[in-house]
Amino acid sequence: MESSALRLWNWIAGILIALVFGSLCTLVFLKLSVDWDWSKPLQPEYRQILLRGWGCTLLLSLGGLVGSLLVGLLLMLGQRSPLRAVNLTCRMFLEFVRDTPLLVQLLVGYYVIFGPLMSRTLEGFGWDEKLLIGILLLSIFEGAYLGEILRGGVESIPKTQWESARAVGFNRSQIYRHVIFPQALRRVLPAVAGQFVSLIKDSSLLSVIGVQEFAYQAKVYTSMTYGGLEAYVPLAVGYLVLTAPVAFLAHRLERRFRDET
Amino acid sequence: MKLEISGLTKRYGTQAALDALDLHVTGGRVLVLVGPSGGGKSTLLRVLGGLEKADEGRVLIRGKELPSNESELLAYRRAHGFLFQQFNLFPHLNALRNLTLPLEEVHGMTPAQAKETAEAALHRFGLLAHAHKRPSQLSGGQQQRVGIARAVAAKPEVLFLDEPTSALDPEMTAEVLELIQELAESGQRIVLSTHEMGFARAVGDMVAFLAAGKVVEAATPAKWFEQPESEQGRKFLSRVLRYG
Repeated sequence: MESSALRLWNWIAGILIALVFGSLCTLVFLKLSVDWDWSKPLQPEYRQILLRGWGCTLLLSLGGLVGSLLVGLLLMLGQRSPLRAVNLTCRMFLEFVRDTPLLVQLLVGYYVIFGPLMSRTLEGFGWDEKLLIGILLLSIFEGAYLGEILRGGVESIPKTQWESARAVGFNRSQIYRHVIFPQALRRVLPAVAGQFVSLIKDSSLLSVIGVQEFAYQAKVYTSMTYGGLEAYVPLAVGYLVLTAPVAFLAHRLERRFRDET
Repeated sequence: MKLEISGLTKRYGTQAALDALDLHVTGGRVLVLVGPSGGGKSTLLRVLGGLEKADEGRVLIRGKELPSNESELLAYRRAHGFLFQQFNLFPHLNALRNLTLPLEEVHGMTPAQAKETAEAALHRFGLLAHAHKRPSQLSGGQQQRVGIARAVAAKPEVLFLDEPTSALDPEMTAEVLELIQELAESGQRIVLSTHEMGFARAVGDMVAFLAAGKVVEAATPAKWFEQPESEQGRKFLSRVLRYG
């Protein structure tokens, strides 16, 4: 097809899609808007609830990001350990965490394991124990996925790079730091970014152990205002504000790395 | 270069890559390993370069015993240079950084010293114009020359080269061989394996012919290329020199 014809058809397709999508949205919102009350979210006392929840989710996400990276790194190194006992343990732990539901891990992890173990101590310091244990549990869950992603990345670096790095006299940690990680990171970046986006969204499950994060506060808001589902629109937007920059940044970095090599 | 190897054995599974190999070299600066593929040249170089541990046997290199524990081997590798057939460079770093990184991390230079040393090494081999290119932007020959520059920048006691031109086309082979010859003439101690017989003859002070994991014979190039003593050596030479 000629390029001018292609452009014309592209326009037609674009307009058609916009029309269909637009009328669908209008239809849905017209039907819903009868019981939706948009006056409440604008009132400060109600808006506060949602904002506080968003702030909590932001903290969970940042904490989980750092935590899961640490857990992932440890699990990756553990799986590559020359000690059979260590690498088997890591392998089994990782599989167990990845193959059981997050919901179960959160409930058992909080009420059976970490709650009785550390709640008192954490509260003694005046810290929010639910938030911290929540970050810990989230880090373990997402870290297991990262551990597998990172292992794949490290193992995708050809053996010749290890050899060359040994030949110039690097020790094991220098090889990882200067030769393997920088190259592996470029390869796993899209997968890691996807995992971080999942992490941010998975944090909404922490409401089951009573962490007052964004989704939890949306429920609180709904029950306080006897509202319909209108709190879930700002909820979606609030998560988008957190996840979109991660995705955007990952794409930018990916492009930069691609230009470099 | 004094080199004494006795009873060196290296097995991969049931296959003996080196089979009770003996070699005594007393003088000269450049030792060339020749012989059929699979004869043990690479394995011997990898053991001599401290990249692989032998199963049995003893190696004295310049009067010092080749270490067998990992931390001493690391120190040993840092004192010597090693170059593979290809893929020597780190693809995420430019040529200059490929040189400066080991100088800083392994040899304890400051960034300024490392840069100066690296640039001097690149300049010496006519590579300074490529300092800021990544390996993927260099030809195979240039990559190997940068690899050699990196190995030489740290002033290695001995430079080990494992078939440094086997992955290159003839033109690039020539540019790399010229560089190695220049290094040899400047006094660098070198042990290399090669299939370039003309080069082996011109540059080597000593030639060792390896087959089936043993040194079949070792002699000066003038002697070995004219009159190899072993039947195996004669056959090998007549085969490789037929079109040479």
